[in-house]
Amino acid sequence: MNKKNAGIPKANYYDRLQKQGYIFILPTLLLFSIFLIYPMLDAFRLSLYEWNFTGSPLLIGLRNFIKLFTTKRFWSSYTVTLQFTFLSVFLLMFISFWLSLAFTSKLCWFKQLYQSMVFLPVVLPMVAIAVVWKFMFQSTGLLSVVFLDIFGWNIPWLTSTKIAPYTMVLVNVWKFTGYYMVMFIAGLLNIPDVYHEAAKIDGAGFWRRLIHITLPLLKNTLILVFVSCAIFSFGTFALQYVMTGGGPSRSTEVLTLLVYKEAFEYTKFGYSAAISVMFFLTLFIFSIIQLRIFSSQAEV
Amino acid sequence: MQITNKGKLRIAAIFLNLTLFIVGIIYLIPFIWMVLSSFKLNADVLSIPIKILPRTWNFQSYPNALNYAGYNFPRYFFNSFIVLVFAVLLCLFLSATAGYGFAKYKFKKNKLLFVVVMSTLMIPFEAIVIPLFLLITRLNLQDNYLALIIPGGLTAFGVFLMRQFFYSIPDEIIEAARIDGASEWQIFWRVSMPLAKTAVLSLAILHGQWVWNLLLWPLIVMSKPDMRTLPQGISLFSGVYFTPYPEQLAISVLACLPTLILFIFLSRNFMEGVALTGLKT
Repeated sequence: MNKKNAGIPKANYYDRLQKQGYIFILPTLLLFSIFLIYPMLDAFRLSLYEWNFTGSPLLIGLRNFIKLFTTKRFWSSYTVTLQFTFLSVFLLMFISFWLSLAFTSKLCWFKQLYQSMVFLPVVLPMVAIAVVWKFMFQSTGLLSVVFLDIFGWNIPWLTSTKIAPYTMVLVNVWKFTGYYMVMFIAGLLNIPDVYHEAAKIDGAGFWRRLIHITLPLLKNTLILVFVSCAIFSFGTFALQYVMTGGGPSRSTEVLTLLVYKEAFEYTKFGYSAAISVMFFLTLFIFSIIQLRIFSSQAEV
Repeated sequence: MQITNKGKLRIAAIFLNLTLFIVGIIYLIPFIWMVLSSFKLNADVLSIPIKILPRTWNFQSYPNALNYAGYNFPRYFFNSFIVLVFAVLLCLFLSATAGYGFAKYKFKKNKLLFVVVMSTLMIPFEAIVIPLFLLITRLNLQDNYLALIIPGGLTAFGVFLMRQFFYSIPDEIIEAARIDGASEWQIFWRVSMPLAKTAVLSLAILHGQWVWNLLLWPLIVMSKPDMRTLPQGISLFSGVYFTPYPEQLAISVLACLPTLILFIFLSRNFMEGVALTGLKT
């Protein structure tokens, strides 16, 4: 009993001290609520209105979404974005994974140098990169001429609806390989050497060690790279905006570009917000699926 | 047996290093080509057959680009720089204080509020630009640096990173400072922050790159020509008719320079920042 009584003032002091934590998190909570959480909720509200910014908004329920689902331009943009995302994710993961394996290998002599070379594009501003590549893709630009000399075909990099989407993926992959490579390297270095050495003594070759040791132990990194790569690629804007403006014939018109055009070229704010909502929901569903896979695998 | 194995390894090593070197060069070529072409004459940049080095070195493209009629690139540089500095400072301030608060104080709803902050990681910035633009117009912040600085300074990842870091500081240090009579703010600023230097630097570099790159958001909130950011100016300049290629490339080279110079001196911090984003589990 005595102990309890003696403890009361101390507990009060301790509680008051801990409450000072609120002061530390207050600025963040405030700004995040106003500038991130509120706008997100507002996007849902806005998507129910028809509004050209100057007049007064007109509540039209789900008609924006109905219009969205029946519009070819939206679906084309949606598939263009999905295609860009899947191809980018697949190629980026594949290339950066193999590079990270090579760079952590004992046979690699100049790790720091090679890594910096591949990482360089990550550091350069996307707009500048888009300008150079656009320049190299001109019909007498470096890449067109080199491919003409080697394969005898002047590839219409940016002017063919069949090829332009893949050109976007190519530049995107070049720009971000270094980023995911460094993430993979960090993950690989976290795997204790002991496992590999034990497996080697048991006579396991390169492929067996890769499948039974490296990949399972790299699972967290793999999932993280997958998710962040997908989210990044899905939100691509500068690349398409500078290199093609969405053309030719809207073959590279990604969702962010459509959102921008609908709102600021055609001043259809409600409709544009509806596209944003679809954008958000897609990524949300995507994250949930990822979480599911992640937690179900964690149990096993 | 032993020798042949060693020989095999050697051949494998040479083959691997050769491949990696070629891959590295491939990643460098566009940048090198950008620099070289920026020194060529407009008549030469796309001429066939391709000349690797400029026929005549054209240093004029750089001053030409900076003084190009209808554009004010020195001003765009200045704008981008202001936004970069203050957005990164805001990000560091918020991330450090909130990270510290979440890590070192056991107030009610700590976990819940942290989850709320982290949930904003799920909100892609591109998906909220329209409502955010309406908010900015209502606050009358269009064509104001604050319109770029405030949203540009918010990142839940920074909060996460700093919280992880402050967890690693032993509570005993903080208790000792309390006994010495230091106020909570003094403990944060004088005791804890000096220990966080590397984490702060990595976060600053990582976030600075993001801010320097922003294009969609400035396009929306900055409509006055004088308030354009550098990426905005370059993207506008790249759409010009009768394209002045050397000038376009020159301005792109200049836009690359700040991050490039930092990268040369702090390449380890650049990569550490990225590696840190991979370590959240």
